[in-house]
Amino acid sequence: MIPDLSQTGEGRKEWAPAPEAPHVVLNHVTKTYGRVIGLNDVSIAIKGGVTGILGQNGAGKSTLFKLIVGRLRPSSGEVMLFGTNPFKNPAPYSRLGYVSESEQLYDWMTGLDFVTTLARLYGYTRDEAKARALHVLEFVGLEDVVNKEIGKYSKGMRQRVKIAHAMVHDPDLIILDEPLAGCDPLARTTIMNVVRELGAMGKTVLVSSHALHEIERITEQILILHNGRLLALGNLHAIRELLDKHPHRIKLHTDEPRELGRSFLPHEDVYGVRFPNPGELLIETNNLSSVHQALPGICVESGIRVTGIENPDDNLESLLGYLVEGRA
Amino acid sequence: MIPEPDDGGLGAGDSVSSEFERQIQEAQQERAADLIESAGAPQGASVPEPLSIPGGKQLQRIQTQAAQVLRPLTDTVWSKLDRKATAVAEFTLRQYRTKSSTWVVLGIGVLFVGMMLMFYAEAMATGYEAYDNDGDSFDWDRDGYPAGQEKRLGTDPNDKFDFPDPELYPPDDPSVWVNEDGFDWDGDYGNRNQGHDDDGDCTGEGWTNPDSWSLPGNKDYNGDGIDCNARYRTNETGQIILGILNDPNVDEDPDEDVFIKEALHRAFVLGFGKIGFVFLIGIFLPLFLATGLIRDEMDKGTLHYIMGKPIARAEVLAYRLLGYLAVVWPYSTVLILGTALITGFIAPSDSIFRFDDMAAWLGVLLASWFVMLAYGTVFCTLGVISPKFGLWIAIGLGVWEFAMAMISLGAPNFPLSWLSISHWGIEIVNCSSILAYPDQSWMAAVSETVNWGEDAPITGFYSPPTIMPTSAFGSLLISIFMLLMVTVMALFIGQASLKSKELN
Repeated sequence: MIPDLSQTGEGRKEWAPAPEAPHVVLNHVTKTYGRVIGLNDVSIAIKGGVTGILGQNGAGKSTLFKLIVGRLRPSSGEVMLFGTNPFKNPAPYSRLGYVSESEQLYDWMTGLDFVTTLARLYGYTRDEAKARALHVLEFVGLEDVVNKEIGKYSKGMRQRVKIAHAMVHDPDLIILDEPLAGCDPLARTTIMNVVRELGAMGKTVLVSSHALHEIERITEQILILHNGRLLALGNLHAIRELLDKHPHRIKLHTDEPRELGRSFLPHEDVYGVRFPNPGELLIETNNLSSVHQALPGICVESGIRVTGIENPDDNLESLLGYLVEGRA
Repeated sequence: MIPEPDDGGLGAGDSVSSEFERQIQEAQQERAADLIESAGAPQGASVPEPLSIPGGKQLQRIQTQAAQVLRPLTDTVWSKLDRKATAVAEFTLRQYRTKSSTWVVLGIGVLFVGMMLMFYAEAMATGYEAYDNDGDSFDWDRDGYPAGQEKRLGTDPNDKFDFPDPELYPPDDPSVWVNEDGFDWDGDYGNRNQGHDDDGDCTGEGWTNPDSWSLPGNKDYNGDGIDCNARYRTNETGQIILGILNDPNVDEDPDEDVFIKEALHRAFVLGFGKIGFVFLIGIFLPLFLATGLIRDEMDKGTLHYIMGKPIARAEVLAYRLLGYLAVVWPYSTVLILGTALITGFIAPSDSIFRFDDMAAWLGVLLASWFVMLAYGTVFCTLGVISPKFGLWIAIGLGVWEFAMAMISLGAPNFPLSWLSISHWGIEIVNCSSILAYPDQSWMAAVSETVNWGEDAPITGFYSPPTIMPTSAFGSLLISIFMLLMVTVMALFIGQASLKSKELN
């Protein structure tokens, strides 16, 4: 269900940015903490859709977000949020919703209090704020616990109440810093659905994660950060296709790895097989999709039982390795 | 290579600025066109030159509407001030409510005031035995007549065989000769000739033998050319009585119970107002409640929930302080008015309730409000400037303030103490007490003249205005102004610091 977030209270007049300007612009932005580089000469412009920010811990994801929302000031370069400097001017915050990585919340407040109180800072009246808070809390699936203290919320609920507070004012841009961190599978699914729905509502959403498969389930548009540098920005499938052409490994679990390996060797895209551990077969290929297509047939033909399949290179580390290596 | 995204995103390292500048310029032009269109401008009007649109009223309307849509943040802030201010202040209030430290600090304040009131009630319940300062109630020669009566009737108070005729002059009750000559002051600061010899033991008035040897030989000891009077010494402004010089046996036997109780009561109002409310409660409450207003949020990493809203950082600081004031001002008001109420029923008075002190207590209330405002802002700012050491700096400042408060009490004209908040708070109490009790300096001077000391410690707590000795009201206003100045300066520094602070 998509709530009618376009409703505006009588007392609320929106700050109006230039409508076609990119929501976020970073122009050669560098951020250093003493001698440590948090972000290194990053230039991006983002408007529309859901963009996944991928990067390992310390890659600069949170630094990027903090610069965008005006919590940090760039060491050099320029950050523009809706065309203005977010560190100096809080006006664009009226179009921004930000879910920080911080797990700290006001545990003594109820979910409804929390969202209502913060909604009032957008200029809504008490009643407007409460109505909107109830609306978004329902949207994120917390309607049953709105009057429960946040301190008694589960991890997933806490993340969702943070998301609710970030979208209570119907922002154009929503930034979610590691919203899935520490959540159980059910909460992850709920949050992912929420993010997808926000994208479907036409919002610009930036969501960070260090897990490739999580981002993959949310969006195709990704931005990869590594050691503070912008490594890539584009369509995940396009990147994946490139990755597939790169030497790739498929691990099969079977009782007869050598026999099964022998069956794969004739395939034109398989250039090698290995047996790293007893009961494991590692197939090396230059064309992942081709081998994946042929894999069921070869297994059936050989009559050997396969108990498990893994793609050890299908993760962020491999992607980063490929991208870094490719650049080198 | 990574393909360029279809939606206009850039690959790493691509130059973005020129493209975005163009986009922004185009967008702004479109925006202006939209505004004009939505405001009812004629089709085809020149977007970059809206002034070319004909019709003055229509143009004015368009410009007004455009200005409303594109109004700067300050306009928005002012129009929503009540909502945002009350939201942050309410939030701060509720946050205080959930902290046990708040209740501990407030509870200690109540206990402290309660204890002081108990001491006060005990002091007021204690009767001060009348003391015969001039010794004329004693029957030195044991002939049954008090010495004063014998002197007046011309017999020798030291000769047991020389006494008045009992048929004509029965012996007086000794109590008649106790507290028989109190201080007489007409309330006119300009009149230095004061005092009256009520019992006639200076003038000899009413004595059987006006030339009695027991009358003083020099009846103009104070040298003002007038026999048997009290010469009042005032400051250069004539508004403050600095000392009283009596001729012999003039105003020498006042009523202790009345005077000491009155002086004790006023000393309580002054002392408790200055040390209790203005200094102790005035400094400890802000220290515990205001230092962490922003600092604690920064430490916990929750400040961005408030700061991430379309509200200027400077406003957040101001509104948080509003929330703080919403706790400490009503708290001090209840304590001070409660104290005023209780003491009003206990204090020496001709009626059930003593209303004379209300102006003095209101002065204490005023001082407490402004001092807590100033301390709160300063401590909060210290917490912003240095989240790590702010509390320690605040404690250091508290020690400085304590030293300055002590100097203000002992040597109020020592200018170093003017560099403190406590001095100006104390000054407000002084000034308001003078306005409440016009005879305050007289009480202090009498207390010193009679040397009641600890029994009537008003001299230890009272001091005349320092900044404007001629006008208590003027000094009061200047003191309030000084405290407001400190507040505004601290607020500006805190706001500037918060504006430039990164919230990592």
